[in-house]
Amino acid sequence: MPIQLTSQAYCKMLLHAAKYPHCAVNGLMVAEKSKDKKKDGHGEPVLCVDCVPLFHGTLSLSPMLEVALTLIDTWCKENKYVMAGYYQANERTKDTRPNQFAEKVAARISEHHSEAAIVMVDNSRLTTSCYEPIIHIYDHSENKWKIREVTQECFEDWSEAQKITSALLEGRSYENLIDFDNHLDDLRNDWTNPVINKSVLDLC
Amino acid sequence: MRDKLRKWREDNSRNSEQIVDVGEELINEHSSKLGDDIWIIYEQVMIAALDCSRDDLAHTCLQELRRQFPDSHRVKRLTGMRLEALERKTQQPKNPPAARKRKISILKALGKSAEAIRELNEYLEQFVGDQEAWHELSELYINEHDYGKAAFCLEELMMTNPHNHLYCEQYAEVKYTQGGLENLELSRKYFAQALRLNNRNMRALFGFYMSASHIAASPKVSAKVKKDNMKYAAWAATQINKAYRLAGRGTKENKCSVKAVEEMLESMQITMS
Repeated sequence: MPIQLTSQAYCKMLLHAAKYPHCAVNGLMVAEKSKDKKKDGHGEPVLCVDCVPLFHGTLSLSPMLEVALTLIDTWCKENKYVMAGYYQANERTKDTRPNQFAEKVAARISEHHSEAAIVMVDNSRLTTSCYEPIIHIYDHSENKWKIREVTQECFEDWSEAQKITSALLEGRSYENLIDFDNHLDDLRNDWTNPVINKSVLDLC
Repeated sequence: MRDKLRKWREDNSRNSEQIVDVGEELINEHSSKLGDDIWIIYEQVMIAALDCSRDDLAHTCLQELRRQFPDSHRVKRLTGMRLEALERKTQQPKNPPAARKRKISILKALGKSAEAIRELNEYLEQFVGDQEAWHELSELYINEHDYGKAAFCLEELMMTNPHNHLYCEQYAEVKYTQGGLENLELSRKYFAQALRLNNRNMRALFGFYMSASHIAASPKVSAKVKKDNMKYAAWAATQINKAYRLAGRGTKENKCSVKAVEEMLESMQITMS
């Protein structure tokens, strides 16, 4: 089952990439826990309602990632979310392929949720106007990560997502985005980003 | 405004957008009052302008600098940076160390990690004391998942900077990532050392907790080691809870974080015993 992104999820991902243009960034995507557990292969797409920005800079070290995954897992349970995917924006603009580390994290998420996807941000097309979606989505099938064509169907409402993301990028809201690294630097920084979430809601 | 720029220079912060905003205004409106400071401000603003794709501003600054310092190596290096930003090839002479470092950055930007690593190793044979270079090399190795060599670079940094808690903590993270009981024990020790140097380093505290918990949960350790590590983990858990409660005072949003941390610590307690 493919994933779909809400405006909030897409927008926070891009704000994270925009805040640290000189670093690689990554984060987790969460979806609402579905009540029925039927496993029909061609059901509704999984809607990623939000994302949690994790780290910037050196991504490939485990201890803080483990802390983040465990903490976010607890938070998900409290809010009836499940982890549904992982996003990453690489350090170099021309590099958009998921690396070994991305695959490992996604595999870890897949242990608990079978539809985990990897979303890679295409840095070379990141602009404030956001005319087109600039992500690549990879699904796991037959033991390989395969890229899927990204259309407007991959978004709950593309025109809304485009409008909100563009407005927040132009308004430099990314300066206020908090990722898990910021949280570890100062515990008062809230990685759920209530301020940004409110801005997104206000623009809807 | 001058002071802001100076502070950002001293901290080596990469807040390029802000530097461009403040610097551009300073240059355009107050250049006569800056005296000799203006040259270092031109350099700082030029580099920030490149970061923000403001080639117009970068070009202006560079022109002023070239006019004032026509034969300077430093200005030539800045010219190289601008050309690199415009993705044109540069013809820097190989010898000056700063130019060699630029070349390594270019290799890294082009994705040629193996070559960048080789060049950086050659550079470090000559300039053994260059800490920035050792750190860069450790990052390159981490990205290549060569944790053993990354650890070696960090060991060099720890030897020359024994009071730097960040190097201790990063070394501990690399050891933890390498995995295995011995590395976990080493990682716990270095997280502890980082905490001793700075007891507010949350990463070190979390790292200490995680490594102690994993050692306690491992089936290969003796009962005494298990007991000791459970004690360490329990201590760390108390400190973590304390830190979160202190941070959460007065803000109701953070209550969710505090609760999440408490639950996480409890659930790990269960897996340990």
